[in-house]
Amino acid sequence: MTPMTPATADPATPPAHVPQPGQAAPRRSRAERARVSPVRTVGIGLIWLFVALSLGLLVWMLLTSLRDSRAIFAEPWSLPDPFKLSNYTTAFDSGFGRAAFNSVLVSGSAALVSVVLAAPAAYALSRRLNRLAGPLTMLFVLGLGVPGQVLLIPVFFMLTEVDLVDSLPGLFLVYVGIAMPFTVFLLTGFFRGLPGELEEAAALDGASPARTFWQIVLPLARSGLITAFILQLINNWNETLFALSLMQSNDNFTLPLVLARFIGEQQYKGADWGGMFAGLCLIVAPMLIMYGWLSRRIITGMTLGIGK
Amino acid sequence: MAVLTAGRREGGGPPALSRNRETPLAIKRRRLFWPFVAPSLAFLALFYIGPLLFGIWTSFHRWDGFSAMEWNGLGSYRALIDDPFFRTSMLNTFKILVFVGLAVFVLAFALTMVLREMAGKKFVRAVIFFPHIVNAMVFGVLAGFLFNPGGLVNSALSAMGVQDPPKWLGSDNIFPLIMATMVCTSTGFYVAIIMAAVDNIPTYLYEDAELAGAGAFRKFWHITLPLSWDVVTVCAVLWTISSVKVFELVLVFGGTFTTNGPPIETWTSALYIYRNAFAGSDIPQFGVVCAAGITSLVLVAVFTVVLRRLMRRDPVEY
Repeated sequence: MTPMTPATADPATPPAHVPQPGQAAPRRSRAERARVSPVRTVGIGLIWLFVALSLGLLVWMLLTSLRDSRAIFAEPWSLPDPFKLSNYTTAFDSGFGRAAFNSVLVSGSAALVSVVLAAPAAYALSRRLNRLAGPLTMLFVLGLGVPGQVLLIPVFFMLTEVDLVDSLPGLFLVYVGIAMPFTVFLLTGFFRGLPGELEEAAALDGASPARTFWQIVLPLARSGLITAFILQLINNWNETLFALSLMQSNDNFTLPLVLARFIGEQQYKGADWGGMFAGLCLIVAPMLIMYGWLSRRIITGMTLGIGK
Repeated sequence: MAVLTAGRREGGGPPALSRNRETPLAIKRRRLFWPFVAPSLAFLALFYIGPLLFGIWTSFHRWDGFSAMEWNGLGSYRALIDDPFFRTSMLNTFKILVFVGLAVFVLAFALTMVLREMAGKKFVRAVIFFPHIVNAMVFGVLAGFLFNPGGLVNSALSAMGVQDPPKWLGSDNIFPLIMATMVCTSTGFYVAIIMAAVDNIPTYLYEDAELAGAGAFRKFWHITLPLSWDVVTVCAVLWTISSVKVFELVLVFGGTFTTNGPPIETWTSALYIYRNAFAGSDIPQFGVVCAAGITSLVLVAVFTVVLRRLMRRDPVEY
């Protein structure tokens, strides 16, 4: 907090961090300040403590899922000895296997289709090919502000009409639908950032606008499309409210629903923390693997469009 | 450039006049608009616009889902005001919006300021962002394991000599604990957004301020905050939306799940709707439930408008 004091302490022998001519003075003095400020030191310490606790909790969750249920409560901190996969077999027996399959199927296909549908729309909106482009973009953006619970009951009755309640295709359609505002918003921003010169060049070479989009724009936009796909995959994988309300038979459950049911069964069966942790890991692990691989893409994809 | 931008520039003039100036290519491009936009617009209409209109319509009727709808005027909304469960749910949602929101923002800015010059900030950002892509049910169950009467927190406390730990998951403490969990898991997302904005601020501004003798707080107040204000406004709107959606964490908080839903003192807007429409034992009154949905949408709309009004500033050039 008092960065000036060391510099004036002993004028005869100036300390090393006093700006000398020709040195990168501001950078050094800032590093010095960072060292002396106690608030900052405490802050850095707290941040690393929090990071360590979070990572610890994650690792501990993964390890605990490999331990015997009774041993978990007796000695929560010890390591799995020996490693046991029995929690995972329990989990698979109580429907996690089927649910994992359903989750992969619905999340993946819905993410893919929502990007396929949103990409041309986002392109047409970003290039303002119609005077309605502005208002329509606004309409998609407004959709971002609608909480899911507002749509829940109408969507339920709409799907009842066409007999798609409690069916995976129905859930797929819902996920494609609720993905539209975010995907279109994200991709519109992305297409806006692409230069128009290549499209002009293609047009001058005689390519039709549709072919230009297909052969020039889409390959250029590949990175944005992949980001949009991954973000929708994450959203669909974690979605609980619609799935819980629309799915009724066990064969159609996705992972969050089986986890909820499994938790519910603990009430009368006695807590099987081992099985529960195995279930948690089945939900978290795919996200963790994807995040380890693509964390930068995920973070910038989720935050960059927002800052603009 | 003129060839391709002809379609973009026009807007004010009469259509016939501007169409005359268009090249065949621009017209061809414009023909793409509806085929390109129609599919996603159809999904938007089917899953947002239609349901919203239907929800508003239903909220003015009495309806059990089977028999014919019966006009009810504002009856559903009056019923909501009289429903103590609804009042608790809305109050909880409001608490999350305001208190958790404030805590998240103060923490996010503090973290960003510390992280700005810290070694390993990308790693820290990656770690604290991760909860954003994890189903919040996971945190609800973990909180149950940590805080249940024989759980890790209590055994750690008794090892430190605390003989009478609070009832963490009791009715007095459970909702504050939910809010605390939310602060821990939500802050990282906003740190990442604010950090991206702060990284764009030129460092010479900070260096000048340091030469003028400004401390950490004054640098924050006079440089960081004004120059990232736009992003803060957007974050506030985002938080408003996501706080009204809170569902998974509350659903299984403490590692319990029953068909009747979690204890009433933890209910949020989304939970009220889910519980009254799908999970309860009594005959659902869809008019009332739809009215609850519309109310939560109004809450988002009002907060968004008010926040944008209150936070409007002249843009700072830098």
